[in-house]
Amino acid sequence: MRTFPEYISDLFGGIKSLLTGLSVTWKELWTKKVTQQYPENRSTLVISDRFRAELVMPHDENNEHACTACGICQMNCPNGTIQVIPKMVETEDGKKKKLLDRYVYDLGMCTFCNLCVLTCPSDAIKFTNQFENATFTRGKLVQQLNKEGSQLRAKKPAAPKTQIQTPPKEA
Amino acid sequence: MEKLTNLIEKKFPNALHVESPKLTFSIDYKELHAFISFLHSYSEHPYDYLVYLIGNDEGEILSVSYLLSCSTNPSLEIVVKTGTSDRENPLLYSITDLYETAHLNERETYAMFGIRFINNPDMRRFLLNDDWVGFPLRKDYNMDPAINPVSIISKDMVDTAPRIMETPEGLKEEIINIFEADDYIINIGPQHPSTHGVMHFRTALDGEIVKKIDVHSGYIHRGIEKLSENLTYPQILHFTDRLDYLSANINRHGLCMCVEKAADIEVPQRAQYIRTIMDELTRMSSHLLAWSAQTNDLGATTAFIYGMREREIILDIFDKTCGGRLIMNQNVIGGVMFDIYADFQKDVKAFIIYMRDKLKEYDRFFSHNVIALGRMVKIGILSKPDAISYAVTGPAGRASGWSCDVRKHQPYALYDKVEFTEVTRSEGDSYARYLNRLDEIEQSLHIIEQLIDNIPEGDYCAKTKAIIKLPVGEYYQNVEAGKGLFGVYIESRGEKTPWRLKLRSPSLSLVSVMPLICKNEKISDFIGIGGSMDYVIPDIDR
Amino acid sequence: MLQNYSQPLEFTNLTTWIDSTLGANLPSFWSIAIEMVLVAVALLAVYSLTAMILIYVERKITAFFQARIGPNRVGKYGIFQTVADVIKILLKEIIHVNKVDKFLFYAAPFFMIVASMLTFGAIPFAQGLHAVDFNIGVFYVTAVSSLGIIGVLLAGWSSNNKYSMIGAMRSGAQFVSYELSAGFALMTMVVLTGTMQLSEMIESQRFCWNIFNGHISAIVAFIIYLISGHAETNRGPFDLPEAESELTAGYHTEYSGLQFGFFYLAEYLNMFIIASIAATVFLGGWMPLQVRGWDAFNQIMWYLPSYMWFTIKVFLLIFFSLWVRWSFPRLRIDQLLNLEWKYLLPINLVNILVMVLLVLAGWTLNDIF
Repeated sequence: MRTFPEYISDLFGGIKSLLTGLSVTWKELWTKKVTQQYPENRSTLVISDRFRAELVMPHDENNEHACTACGICQMNCPNGTIQVIPKMVETEDGKKKKLLDRYVYDLGMCTFCNLCVLTCPSDAIKFTNQFENATFTRGKLVQQLNKEGSQLRAKKPAAPKTQIQTPPKEA
Repeated sequence: MEKLTNLIEKKFPNALHVESPKLTFSIDYKELHAFISFLHSYSEHPYDYLVYLIGNDEGEILSVSYLLSCSTNPSLEIVVKTGTSDRENPLLYSITDLYETAHLNERETYAMFGIRFINNPDMRRFLLNDDWVGFPLRKDYNMDPAINPVSIISKDMVDTAPRIMETPEGLKEEIINIFEADDYIINIGPQHPSTHGVMHFRTALDGEIVKKIDVHSGYIHRGIEKLSENLTYPQILHFTDRLDYLSANINRHGLCMCVEKAADIEVPQRAQYIRTIMDELTRMSSHLLAWSAQTNDLGATTAFIYGMREREIILDIFDKTCGGRLIMNQNVIGGVMFDIYADFQKDVKAFIIYMRDKLKEYDRFFSHNVIALGRMVKIGILSKPDAISYAVTGPAGRASGWSCDVRKHQPYALYDKVEFTEVTRSEGDSYARYLNRLDEIEQSLHIIEQLIDNIPEGDYCAKTKAIIKLPVGEYYQNVEAGKGLFGVYIESRGEKTPWRLKLRSPSLSLVSVMPLICKNEKISDFIGIGGSMDYVIPDIDR
Repeated sequence: MLQNYSQPLEFTNLTTWIDSTLGANLPSFWSIAIEMVLVAVALLAVYSLTAMILIYVERKITAFFQARIGPNRVGKYGIFQTVADVIKILLKEIIHVNKVDKFLFYAAPFFMIVASMLTFGAIPFAQGLHAVDFNIGVFYVTAVSSLGIIGVLLAGWSSNNKYSMIGAMRSGAQFVSYELSAGFALMTMVVLTGTMQLSEMIESQRFCWNIFNGHISAIVAFIIYLISGHAETNRGPFDLPEAESELTAGYHTEYSGLQFGFFYLAEYLNMFIIASIAATVFLGGWMPLQVRGWDAFNQIMWYLPSYMWFTIKVFLLIFFSLWVRWSFPRLRIDQLLNLEWKYLLPINLVNILVMVLLVLAGWTLNDIF
C-alpha cells in the first residue's frame, strides 16, 4: 500500500508529465509543417538524380542508341522484366549481324535492382528519376524502350563506367 | 574447445567430427537429443542458445543442422548435424524442451521438408497450410501450380494440432486441441491495424485478459529461399531488401559478407565505411519506425507522425545515395553499388544535430508521460532465460539483460574500430525495450560521428568475377539488424547458384515469444507489447 | 437588469420580432405551433451544421499538431471537405450484415443521435436563445446525455462481432464510472449557485464566473468535469471503446453509410455538448466579461453579441479537448477505472464538502468582495 505523500507526489508528478507533453504539441502547432503539396509543387520538386523510377534507353539526336542486343541485361534480370528481341540483318559485305529489333521492358515487374544497368557492356540503358508512372491499365506498363526507326550507334563509347560491370561471358 | 572435443569423443563415440571452419559434429538422430542436451548443460560454458535450425535436402538424405552458441559468449559456436534417409516418413527428435525457439523452426522445417519432430508439442506446419501438397524446399518438389491452386474459398480455422509423442509403449500419434471448448477466441489479424503486417494471432480471451495466443503466419510467404536456389548470387541480393524491409541495407550487407567470405573477396576500406554508416542510418530509421509504431499502438497518433517526420530525413539521404528509399539496393558483392554523393557528409552531420534535438523532444513528449509509463512499465516482462531460450536478440533481447549484440561479439565491417556502448537493461518489460531503441539511436549517431569525417579515398567496390561461383562448402554470416540477429546460411556445391540458402530472421523469435509474455495481460497490452517487440512480418515469412 | 446595456447584434431582437408578428396575426395556438416547428428546424440545422464545422476544425487542428496541413483539396483550405464527406456518407450503402439482431442493430444509431439531440435542445446558446429552460436544467442535461450509452451497448451487442462486443462492454464500464464524476462536479457548482436552472446559473455569474467565484473548489471541479466529459464522449486518451489500434473501430465496426454517420455526428456533438455545459456552468455561458462598476467596459463587452461569447468559450474548451486528445496515449481499461475510482471520485467527494463549507462560511469571491 502506498503512503499518502506518495499518492500525492504520484498525482502531481503525473500531471507535470502530462503538461510537458502538452507543451511539445503546443510548440508543434506553431512550427512550419513538413507536408509537401504534390502536385502543386511539381515545378520545385527535387527528386534525387539517382532515384530509380523507370528504365530508359537514351537515344541521341540521330535517333541512335547503343544497344547491341547482346541480351546480357535480360539474362541478369532476376524476374524476367526485360525481353530483348533481336533481328538478323545482312550488312553490305554480306555478313549477318544481330541487331536490336525490340527492347521490351515491363515496368510492372521491375524490382529496380539495377543489375541490368550495372551489367550492360555498352551503357545502352539507364534508370531515370521520372517517377510519375501511374497508368490506368497494366498493359501500358509494358513498354518498348527503343524508339521507332532507331539504329545502333556506329561507335561504341569508350571505357566502362563503373568497376564491377564486366559482363558474364556465357550467354 | 580442445577439452570439449575430447569430452565429446569420449562420451559420444558415434559423433563424427566433421572438418569445417566451424566445429561441427554429425550424429545419428537417435543420439541427437542426448548430445544436444549434453552441450546445453555443459558446465564450463553451456551452449544454451540455438542460433539457427536449418533443414536441408542433401539429395539422398534429409538433414537438419543446428548452430548452438553460448549466451554469455556468442562467439563460441558448435554445429550439430543429423539426418534421416527415410524420405517417405522422416522422423527426427525435437529439441523444443531445451530451446523454445526450436518449436517454430521445427514446424517450419516440417512444412518445407516434411520432417516431423518427435516430442514437439504442436506439429502443425508453419508458414504453409496443412493441406499444402508437397514440401517446397525438397529438391524433388513439383512446382506445378495445378497441384496447389490458388483458392479464394474461405476456410474455417481448425484449432487442432497433430503431434508425435514418445511414450514407453513406443511412438504415439495424437491430435490435440489448442483451445478449450468454450474459449472466447478473437482473430487479431491477418487484417488488423496493429499487427504490423499480415500476422494472425488466434487469441483466447477471458474478458479483457489474454488467456492464450496461437501464432499463424505465412500470409506473405513468398518462398524466397526456394526462389534463390535458381538465381545467381547477385540476383539473390535484391530479395534481402524485401525481408525485413526496415533493415534492408543490413540484411543485404549480411548476404554480401557471406558471399565475399566464401569467394574470398576483399572489400575496399571506403566501401566498409560507407556500409557501416549506411547500416547505422538504416538501424536508426528502423528504430524510429519502431518507436513510432509502438506509440501508435498505445494510441498516440501524434508521436507516430513525429517519428515518421525524422525518418523522412534519413530516407532522403538514402534516396540521394543509392536511389532507393525503402528498398535500397546499396550493397553489392565486393562493395557498394553507388559511391556517396557530394553533400553526403554535410547532410548526415546536419541530421545528427537535428536527431539529438528530437531525441530530447521524444523524451519530453512520451518517455516520461504518466499514461505511457502506465502502459509500458512492468508490462510484457521477458526474463533473461526466456530471452535466451527463445533466441530473442536485438533491442528486445538486450532489454532483458542479455548482451547479444553481434557488433560487439562478432564484429564485422568497422564495428571493431569504432567505440560504442551496447545498451542493455535488466527489466525486460516494454519500457526497457522502448528505451533501448531510443538509446541505440543515440549510439548509432555516435558511431556515425566517428566515421563520417574519415571516409578514405579509393575504390568503393572490388572487382569481382562476372560469374560468382562459391567453392563447395557451408558459409554462415551473422549481422546485427534492426530487430536482432540476422543470419545468412549458404550451402554451395560449386555452382553459380546456392544449393541451399537460409535466412535466419530475428522477427521469428520475437513473434514466437509473444504467447509467453502476453499471457494474462490485457488485450490492450497485447497490442502494446507487440509494438515493443517490433517484428516485421515479411521477415518471418520470407 | 438584463437589458441595461445596448445590444445591437443580439438574436433576441429577431426572435422577439418573430414572436410579436406571429402573435399579432395568428391565434395563439397556431403561433405557438409555428414557433415550435421553427425552433425544431433551427435546432436541427444548427445541430448538423455544428457537427460539420467541428469535424473540419478537428481535422485541421489535429493536422497542425501533427506537423501536417490537413484537408486542403476541397475548396480553399479544404473548407468544403466535410460537405463532401457528408455527401459521400449519404450516398453510401447501408450494408446489411448477416446474423445481426436486425431491430437492435438499426435502432442503436437512433439512440445515440436522439440522446445527443435532446441534450442539445437544453443548451443556452445566447441570451434568449434557449429552447427549453427547465428549473432542473443541470439534472436534465446529465440524465438525457446518459441515454447515449444505450445506443453504444446495443450497437456492440447486436453487431454479432467480438470486437464490437468488447468495445461496447468497455464503453459501458467507462460511461457508468465517469457519469458519477461528471455528476458530482456539476453538483459542486449547484451547491455554489444554489440553482439547477441553467439560465439562473448564467445570471448568477454576471460579474464573477463560477470558476473564480468558487476558486479552489471550483477549479478542481472544472478539471474533473473536463476529464470525465472527455471520458464520457469516448475521446482520447479515453477512446477505449473504439481504440482503433486494438479493436479496429469498437462498437461501430459493422456500421456503414448514414448509420455510421449518426455515430460520428453524435460523437462530435457530444464533444460540443460537454464543452457547452462546462462553459455554461463554470465560465458564465453566453454572459460577456463583466466587471462590477466598470460600466463603460461592460457596455463595450456587450457589443460583442452573447452567442459570440458562447462560441468563443466553447471553442476554447473544444480546442483544449483536441489538444489533449492528440498529445496523449490511450489508457488501459483498468487504468481508466483506477483513475476514476481511486483519484477522481475521492477528490470529488472531498471537493464537494469543501464547496459546502466555502458556501456556508461565506468564503466565495462574491461574498468576500
